Amino acid sequence: MSYLEYKVQTVPTGARKILHANWALVLLLTAVSAVGFLMLVSVAGGDFSRWAEPQMKRFILGLIVMMMIGMVPIWFWRSISGLAYLGALGLLLLVELFGAIGMGAQRWIDLGFMRLQPSELMKITLVMILAAYYDWLPLAKVSRPQWVIVPVILTLIPTALVLKQPDLGTAILLVAGGGIVMFCAGVSWWYFIAVIASGVALVYTVFASRGTDWQLLKDYQFRRIDTFLDPSTDPLGAGYHITQSKIALGSGGWTGKGFMQGTQSRLNFLPEKHTDFIFTTLAEEFGFVGGFSLLALYGLIIFFCVVSAVQNKDRFGSLLTLGVAATLFLFFAVNMSMVMGLAPVVGVPLPLVSYGGSAMLVLLAAFGLVQSAHIHRPRSR
Amino acid sequence: MTRTPLRPLARILAARQSGENPDAIERENLAARHEADRDSQRQRAEGRLLVLGIVFLCAFFMVGLKMSFLAASDPAEPRAAASGAQIVAARADITDRNGRILATNLTTHSLYAQPQQMIDPERAAREVARIFPDLDQEKLLRHFTGSRKFLWIKRRISPEQQQAVFDIGEPGLLFGPREMRLYPNGKLAAHVLGGAGFGREGVSSAEVIGVAGIERALDEELRDPGRGDVPLTLSIDLTVQAAVERVLEGGMKLMNAKGAAAILMDAKTGEIVSLASLPDFDPNDRPTPLTTGDQAESPLFNRAVQGVYELGSTFKIFATAQGVEERLVSRTTWIDTTGPLKWGRHTIRDLRDHSPALTVEDVIVKSSNIGTARVAMMIGPERQQSFLGKLGLSSPLPVELIEARGARPLLPKKWSEIHTMTVSYGHGLSASPLHLATAYASLLNGGTRVTPTLLKQDQVEPGPRVVSENTSEQMRSFLRQVVQRGTATLGEVPGYHVAGKTGTADKPKPQGGYYDEKVIATFASVFPADDPKYVLVVTLDEPVETSGRKPRRTAGWTAVPVAAEIIRRAAPLLGLAPDIEPDHGPGVTLASN
Repeated sequence: MSYLEYKVQTVPTGARKILHANWALVLLLTAVSAVGFLMLVSVAGGDFSRWAEPQMKRFILGLIVMMMIGMVPIWFWRSISGLAYLGALGLLLLVELFGAIGMGAQRWIDLGFMRLQPSELMKITLVMILAAYYDWLPLAKVSRPQWVIVPVILTLIPTALVLKQPDLGTAILLVAGGGIVMFCAGVSWWYFIAVIASGVALVYTVFASRGTDWQLLKDYQFRRIDTFLDPSTDPLGAGYHITQSKIALGSGGWTGKGFMQGTQSRLNFLPEKHTDFIFTTLAEEFGFVGGFSLLALYGLIIFFCVVSAVQNKDRFGSLLTLGVAATLFLFFAVNMSMVMGLAPVVGVPLPLVSYGGSAMLVLLAAFGLVQSAHIHRPRSR
Repeated sequence: MTRTPLRPLARILAARQSGENPDAIERENLAARHEADRDSQRQRAEGRLLVLGIVFLCAFFMVGLKMSFLAASDPAEPRAAASGAQIVAARADITDRNGRILATNLTTHSLYAQPQQMIDPERAAREVARIFPDLDQEKLLRHFTGSRKFLWIKRRISPEQQQAVFDIGEPGLLFGPREMRLYPNGKLAAHVLGGAGFGREGVSSAEVIGVAGIERALDEELRDPGRGDVPLTLSIDLTVQAAVERVLEGGMKLMNAKGAAAILMDAKTGEIVSLASLPDFDPNDRPTPLTTGDQAESPLFNRAVQGVYELGSTFKIFATAQGVEERLVSRTTWIDTTGPLKWGRHTIRDLRDHSPALTVEDVIVKSSNIGTARVAMMIGPERQQSFLGKLGLSSPLPVELIEARGARPLLPKKWSEIHTMTVSYGHGLSASPLHLATAYASLLNGGTRVTPTLLKQDQVEPGPRVVSENTSEQMRSFLRQVVQRGTATLGEVPGYHVAGKTGTADKPKPQGGYYDEKVIATFASVFPADDPKYVLVVTLDEPVETSGRKPRRTAGWTAVPVAAEIIRRAAPLLGLAPDIEPDHGPGVTLASN
């Protein structure tokens, strides 16, 4: 059901919108960010102003942005989703071109008060345009090949650009995020099975070719993959992060060493301790209990999003909410697996906790869209 | 799915009769249809969400499980990377074709200061200035007592210097391990290796990056940690390289040349066994690039690869080969060589007048410009361009040197007939000596194209055919006669059947026109002529040979003897046995009956 068919009059207006916002979600987001502030104070050795303060300012800014986006009717966001996608794509191309011309491997655009990474923006606008696409597309056509190819192309163009940067983490997030939206929209199982099966077959063939006459990759390329998959083979090089972070996690034990008592992270054993690897500090200082609590907070956010999506009869709003939830899920799942050595290191931050402005702002803006979808959902009279 | 029509006629009619509004029926049906749509959509969506939920839960479960495993694991002692950690040799070694080291890594130390921690800055400055006389004591003291928290003093110091600094006993003077690139052979193969410098620097390590030559061209590959300790094996033979450089240096001095280049290439595989360019430099201590003047005068300039010159008569064999290959002429065809040959405003002359006609063979042996130009006219511009292109003479070579990428041959802008004529004897087209060596190898190795490479090849498939085997063999016999009875008689090396062609080209003035007394002298050769194994190109920049009554500049007097000496020295090192014919004495046979 599209928004055109329900009675807009039933949607709250004016200040009443604030009452109808998804406050549980706001609370959960604040809680997760608060964990982040705490950790940033800790890794800075008790110094509040180094990382925690700017992060807090950005969070407040993000919160305002979120509520402002939430106040704007969801049908407005639906109507500009194509434009937003093209805009983000344009920015992505721009940094690509400038990077090539000689500003180094630059991935961001300087806005003065912050550096915006177009690839961050892309994650959200991709979800938006896919949701808008499936909102527009009649249900009967969803699984027809010619209609499946469109969202695939929409996903692969930015993925290719991001891969070229090269930013493997974001590329994985884009493909997986797009795939989840398509899956939720009801694209036939067979497409997913076929893609996964051919992926597995390709990987299997490449590895099976190793050591035979028809070897598909060069020896050194295989060695590189080995190091990527199992960093412990190169403990002082690529594996350094992982080895150290595993030690930190182990030394935290069940209840941790206490706030600001972590040695691994505070004594500079760990690089990137305030960005991608901040989870290790949490796990070391608050142990399994702390780490699992954060995981549970994320889980609750996802849960509330899914509930909101199920209740929402507007297809665009529902898909958008699920897409944003999936993006958040991918973010923290990839980051945590990476930190714990379950997955290779690909450079994905822990959402809302890692230090860094543009990721946080973009994510909060995305939750603004979720709020908008929630506030402006169609209601029966 | 059967759909109820929105306005079922029967109901509408019934409704009309009973006075109800028929539109209400339509609305009702529309709503019902939407409801059904939504239900099916909901059903499907719920199934999907369930699957997604299961996937999410699995991920949660896995992350949680791993977390609990880690929490339960025994905490290991933290390991530090900061101090004393060994630096892994990140950059691969480079070796010659027999595994002898050309470039390797050496760990030294850097010296830096943290003035905040200094006890006696004055003494520290005095002592440091004593150990490193090139440092200024006043300046050091200013830094040590200033507000800076950190400063580099020396990027690389020797163990003795380190000990001396250590003995000062100043806690504010600190050392960091510093890996550096070492070229144990000094200047040898300097232009091939290029050199390396530091990229980003930190206290405990610095990034070593290639700045020139093969170090730069294959920088990524050399730095790839996935490569392990597999060295990069070049096609260069260190012994041969040493011999070539030595002879070339002597020859350059003897011929009063200001620069020289030599390339020795495997004629079949394109592997470059030796590549030398003089003047050269020590890659351990690269000179700074010239900031003013002609870069071509710098010792960093690789004449063999970067220098594009008009290579003169060495080009004549290309026109001849194409003429023979396309059956326009044969070995014994007579070519009119009456000079001078006028073409429009241009006049083509020979160095000295030959007989009114020469056979194609003698056009090469006597090196007649007019004769070659006439053969080229039979070929025409298009075919000539495509043939020279096939020999690799119209684009930069893909050899593994960063300098090669910029060395694009200079071609005539508009390839008219007069250009066809001049290019045929090596004027109006400039190429590097490496281009020439590659073209000679392709033409004379039996006629298959080679791609020059600096990496040792295990097995090389012959490239596409450029000329037939027969043409290639004929060209070798022409060039053999150039050495036996033509312009390169000084090139004869007993036992090695050298075949080759000389070329002497006036150097162009930067402002246009040509110098009268400055030439580029080139000898391009192949040996042994009957079984071509190697191609050697020797180029001398502004040579003058002064042993005679008049100064002599032509390649036959300058480049050829140098090349002959190189072959004399290098051929045995390359494992070629001299083919010496048994001496039958003065023609008297013993007859005992």
